[in-house]
Amino acid sequence: MKKKLRAVILLAVMLSMILSSTVIAETPYKTYTVDGYGYVLETQSAYNPASAITKVGETSFVTPMDMAIGNDGNLYIADAGAHVVMVSTVDGDEVRMIGEGTLQTPMGVFVSDDDKVYVADRDAKKVFVFDIQGNLLNEYGKPDSPIYGSSMDFKPIKVVANKTGTMYIICEGNMNGIVQISPVEGGSFLGYFGTNYTSLSPFQILQRLILTDAQRAQMLSNIPSTPTNLHIDEDGLIYTVTQGDTEMSLKKLNIAGKNMLDADPYWADLPAAVTTGQYHNMLVADSDGYIYEYNEEGELLFMFGGRDDGRQRIGLCNKVEAIAVDHSDRIYLLDSDKKQVHIFEPTEFTDLLHESLYLFSKGRYTESKEPLEKVLQMNSMFDYANQAMGHAYLQEENYTEALKYFKLAKSAEGYSDAYWEVRNIWIRKYLVTAVIVIVLLAVGISFYKKWKKKKYGEDGVPGRLSQKVPLLAQLKYGLHFMRHPFDGCYGVKREGKASFACANILLAAYILVAIIEKYFSGFLVKTVREGRYDIVSDVGTVLVIFIGLTLCNYLVVTINEGEAFFKELYCAYAYCLTPFIVIKPFVVILSNVLTYNEVFLISFANLIVVVWMVVLILISVKEMNNFSVKETAKALALTAFTVLILTLLVCIIYVLFSQVIDFVVSVLREVVYRIGS
Amino acid sequence: MEAKFDIRKMGRKLIKFIIAVVVVIVIIAVAVMASKSGGKNSLDVSDAQQEVKEPQAALSDGAVDTSKELNGHHLVAANDSYELYLYEPALSIIVKNTKTGAVMESTVRDEERLGNVNETWKGFLQSGIVVELQEETNTMQRKLGIEGSGAQVAVDLIPGGFHAKLDYPSQELGFEVEVKLYDDGSITACIPESAIYENAENKKIGNIYLFPLLGSTRLGEKDGYMFVPDGNGALIYLDDKEGRFDSGYVQKVYGTDIGVGESYVLSLLWGSYETHNDAEMILAPVYGMVHTDDNMGYLAVIESGDEEASIYATPNGAYSDYNWITAAFRKCTTYIQPTSNSGGSVTKVTDRIKYDINVRYMFVDGDEANYTGLAKRYRDYLIENDELVRTADEFKVRLDFLGMDVENWMMWKKDVPVTTVDNIREIYADLEGEGVTDILSLYKGWQDGGIYDIPVTSYDVDASIGGAGDLSKLMEECGEKNIDFYLFLDAVRANTDTANTTFDTVKKMDKRLYEQDTYQNVYRSFVYWTPQKALENLQKLQKGFQKKGIDKLALSEIGNTLYTYTMGDTMQTRIVSKYLYGEALKGAGETMDLMLESPIQCYWQYSKAIVDMPISDSDYIYTDQSVPFLSIALKGMIPMYGDYVNFEANEREYFLKLVETGIYPSFYLTYENPSELIYTNSSDVYTSEYSVYRQQILSYYKELKEISELTKGSMIAAHEITDTGVTIVTYDNGVKLYINYSETDAKADGVAVPALSYVVGR
Repeated sequence: MKKKLRAVILLAVMLSMILSSTVIAETPYKTYTVDGYGYVLETQSAYNPASAITKVGETSFVTPMDMAIGNDGNLYIADAGAHVVMVSTVDGDEVRMIGEGTLQTPMGVFVSDDDKVYVADRDAKKVFVFDIQGNLLNEYGKPDSPIYGSSMDFKPIKVVANKTGTMYIICEGNMNGIVQISPVEGGSFLGYFGTNYTSLSPFQILQRLILTDAQRAQMLSNIPSTPTNLHIDEDGLIYTVTQGDTEMSLKKLNIAGKNMLDADPYWADLPAAVTTGQYHNMLVADSDGYIYEYNEEGELLFMFGGRDDGRQRIGLCNKVEAIAVDHSDRIYLLDSDKKQVHIFEPTEFTDLLHESLYLFSKGRYTESKEPLEKVLQMNSMFDYANQAMGHAYLQEENYTEALKYFKLAKSAEGYSDAYWEVRNIWIRKYLVTAVIVIVLLAVGISFYKKWKKKKYGEDGVPGRLSQKVPLLAQLKYGLHFMRHPFDGCYGVKREGKASFACANILLAAYILVAIIEKYFSGFLVKTVREGRYDIVSDVGTVLVIFIGLTLCNYLVVTINEGEAFFKELYCAYAYCLTPFIVIKPFVVILSNVLTYNEVFLISFANLIVVVWMVVLILISVKEMNNFSVKETAKALALTAFTVLILTLLVCIIYVLFSQVIDFVVSVLREVVYRIGS
Repeated sequence: MEAKFDIRKMGRKLIKFIIAVVVVIVIIAVAVMASKSGGKNSLDVSDAQQEVKEPQAALSDGAVDTSKELNGHHLVAANDSYELYLYEPALSIIVKNTKTGAVMESTVRDEERLGNVNETWKGFLQSGIVVELQEETNTMQRKLGIEGSGAQVAVDLIPGGFHAKLDYPSQELGFEVEVKLYDDGSITACIPESAIYENAENKKIGNIYLFPLLGSTRLGEKDGYMFVPDGNGALIYLDDKEGRFDSGYVQKVYGTDIGVGESYVLSLLWGSYETHNDAEMILAPVYGMVHTDDNMGYLAVIESGDEEASIYATPNGAYSDYNWITAAFRKCTTYIQPTSNSGGSVTKVTDRIKYDINVRYMFVDGDEANYTGLAKRYRDYLIENDELVRTADEFKVRLDFLGMDVENWMMWKKDVPVTTVDNIREIYADLEGEGVTDILSLYKGWQDGGIYDIPVTSYDVDASIGGAGDLSKLMEECGEKNIDFYLFLDAVRANTDTANTTFDTVKKMDKRLYEQDTYQNVYRSFVYWTPQKALENLQKLQKGFQKKGIDKLALSEIGNTLYTYTMGDTMQTRIVSKYLYGEALKGAGETMDLMLESPIQCYWQYSKAIVDMPISDSDYIYTDQSVPFLSIALKGMIPMYGDYVNFEANEREYFLKLVETGIYPSFYLTYENPSELIYTNSSDVYTSEYSVYRQQILSYYKELKEISELTKGSMIAAHEITDTGVTIVTYDNGVKLYINYSETDAKADGVAVPALSYVVGR
């Protein structure tokens, strides 16, 4: 214990010596974070490049493939080309070489808590275990268990071990998953772990249905990808990254091999390595030199770094193989192309964030507010901090503040929780008043009705506006149409109850309601960003779809002996939109006072609207044309086909036209070039 | 039958119609090109290139004993301190300090010391002047030394030096060079444009390296460093690099040339985010070499041809065993001319870029043989050449405000005002109450349409920030107090959405429009005005401002953007753009106080202060140490303001860096929360709210003003980093600043400096 303490102090002194060099310089990369909407924005530099190790003592790297940090703070670098594991201080001084003469192609290295050095040797087909001094303790070859498969080769490339010494090994060419070997009895195979699954795209499924067996045999077989790299944390959770998988390339696996992360769109494209920091934060290094830092739940905190591409600046990489983090949060990246270890230092900004992460994970919410406030002071748009503030206030039962921060963080779940509480308080406070107001209103309305009856008698108001203005009557007819579609269709067709003007107004009303719904729905159900408007395309889409469909349908029914004219169809379909116009405004109002608990009401209302409209349209098609059910079905199918053809036609015209433009542009360019030369 | 015939007829008509349209377009294009082409607007090099002044010191033209030899070289000129030797066949020179006996050679004569180099590099290491040959349209240029390439050298000794004529018979090209020694230890080298000839059709001079190995050392044989002007300044030590590098520092003086497309392969994150920060730009055309163990060094200033020069600093291990630093001068270059939309292209070579090459090597010795000495020598040089006039260096805190920007809203743009004129008034009043009175402000985004509604050619203030009347009133109020209030605008770029940019915009060498991507949502790209048009715009604005009595203007981009472009079919070089921008600034400076954003050396004289002064270097892998070279040279001469403190992640270190360099702090402020800006092109301003920065402004002001009071009116005399990690900056009035960047307390000169802190001593 004492020894360890002294080592820690020594390390601290050493680190502070390194820190004495200034690291203020224009960082060669930008740092990005993601806001609550998933909008990527810049932030202060999270880590600054500090230095680089190009040599261990006098030895240069040949093909460095993996790196680990020992409990002594030294770097253990597996160099496949030098056939050795180099042990280096963080300054690049040589401590010792491990496995000289033993190792053939060390591809992976891991240092366990009990100071054992595990080395995955691909060409020796073995995992070697050394003690910290470099003495060989054990070696494990191919498991002889039949479950492993006798024809399956054993080429370990990455290895980690848990506290009991059970090894998790990634083997080259082994698609079954991570090989799990227990140290008992000289290595017994426990089974495969954390297998990746394959998925089929709709296209592939279609392909498989159509192709013959022989053709299928020629296709690339769809086999799961092997994880690229793995890491184990203090709690024994295994983290894997997989290159080639488009989603879920980072996994956090529990003992049972179950992934504990939800999908997040901000995964590295080419993840090369993963590690965890002191605050359960996860760090993933992309092969191209990007570093991603996530919190425990897999939410992206920072993304920074990048490819060097000849810029020759410290902190940019060419091909990353491994990543490690030490106890002062410094990040080490192993670059096999530049043959160096890049060292990054956390900035004051990141230190604050880490402090809050730590306090938050320990449940000390109130304390975590202080560093969070400083983080927000430095960057008020850092939504992770806003969200954490929201949670902290929620824990403190300060719901209005929590609501404010959750809204800033665009965190729907947090907002819902906080809003539930706020609404609860409001209801408790104003319940009595509200009931009284409602009762008074009801009484008032009934009195008004009675008074009206008295004045005008049973027949209602004489000379109503709707009777004077036919348009109003037509609009009002929509409500009738909605409830009595058969009757309504008859009215449109035979009684001239509709006009273009009326249909256009209804269409306009539909568009208006749709826009209101899109932009003024409650925070929880809104699908667009706050303050984001694109009215032109909203209007355009509705118009194109409505008119296009009506037109196609008209074309189809006319050649199928339908009786409807275009105007009649247009008007009837416009009337079909009335349920939307009538019901949606209430849904929008409701959405502003609901939480996630009651949000099903809105889905339910939306479903009713859609079903109602569909039914109205079906009835309209049938009744307006005097079709039988069979004819209706045929007309609809044909309409769908016509739409398809029309779309295709538009596409072809577009393509041809753009080629003409391209041709003209090319001619012009050529002219400019000829004149110029 | 008839119907078919009709269709065919129609088809023919259509084809005829298309042909007619194309012909009309072509004719219009040709007419437009012809009317816009060169002619009246294009400039001759003799107009654009400024005369280089001779050093003020006397020419060392005393008679010398030419038979005196050193390493095979014979003496050609001498003064009290230095001797200049020449080896004619390779045009190699040796400079000897007669007081100490230290020498600097310009070639490697000893074959054995060359090590394993190929013929090309052997020629390079053994020649005083190296030409890179542009053959046909090869994108790789071939290096020609002197002896190996069959070049003929004819040397005339002239008073103070020599004149040499170089002919490369097999390449049918040649030029002349003149080298002279002056009594102040300066050596000038000049290759005049008038003497260059290229007779072969397909062989041209690509680049010229002038004394590339002057002062070079082999591996770690000497202590010292090469000085590169990266950002504020950086050093590359002359130690043995043990083969760590396979290339060296190469940067174009005054930044990359957008006109020839030297840009990097862009790798975007997730397909749309540019993740790289640009490296710092070379603002001063200087470089240096110091042998600290011999107490000898030189600072080279590129006096002409700087626009086309690149600085090469190559550590040992890259190409050869030698550490060498030099400037290469571009005389022509290749570019890709696309010929179709689908990727077809040909490589072309530009005409020769016409300019004289002048380099002045200023040797230093004794106590001055270090980077502080070089910086001081540079300061003297600037004063000698009237590049800089000493201006009152009063401490001010720079508080820039962003007025407004716009975001997309339905079919239009919506104003997003974040700091109105009233807000600024309120902020000033608040700060005055706290004793903050010395303020410099740049007001960005005041114009109608917001910060990116460019160009600005009149005093048209956006109503959403308070309108013209109110802004004028504010400027009057500032005039009464001690607040320098500048209106800011971009003088080079144009917004294609808000201005008519059909004509007068910059076309690259390939005659395609240059577009600068913003990676933002509202305005996706900007174009550049031609310098001619930028000049015109600025003059128009100047008239408008004069009428309104506005005399303070801050300009961005114009101070550091040089490029090659085409007008009609003529190539306009960086020399032209530098000259025209210079004219624009000179004209504007007559009636207005100007403030330029990180200007290059030749524009310093027009600026009241340097804003956005780089505080450090770009951290290249080969640089070993960052030094405040420009700060040492300019502190006390002209006020310098740094980058915005807001965006610094390491605030404390940045503050100490301000203390060290004497650069004044800058803040970018808005009254509103910057989250308002997220959908605008200013979405990269993620933190700027005044209420957040108020406390920090107060503390920075108090501490830095205190220091500035002590150092006021004096210049930096020495700068060093002790073994204990403490940086000591000594001013010529005796004030010493001890700065400790480490997280532990340290001591220097018996002064205890707490961790991450500073101490003022005497």
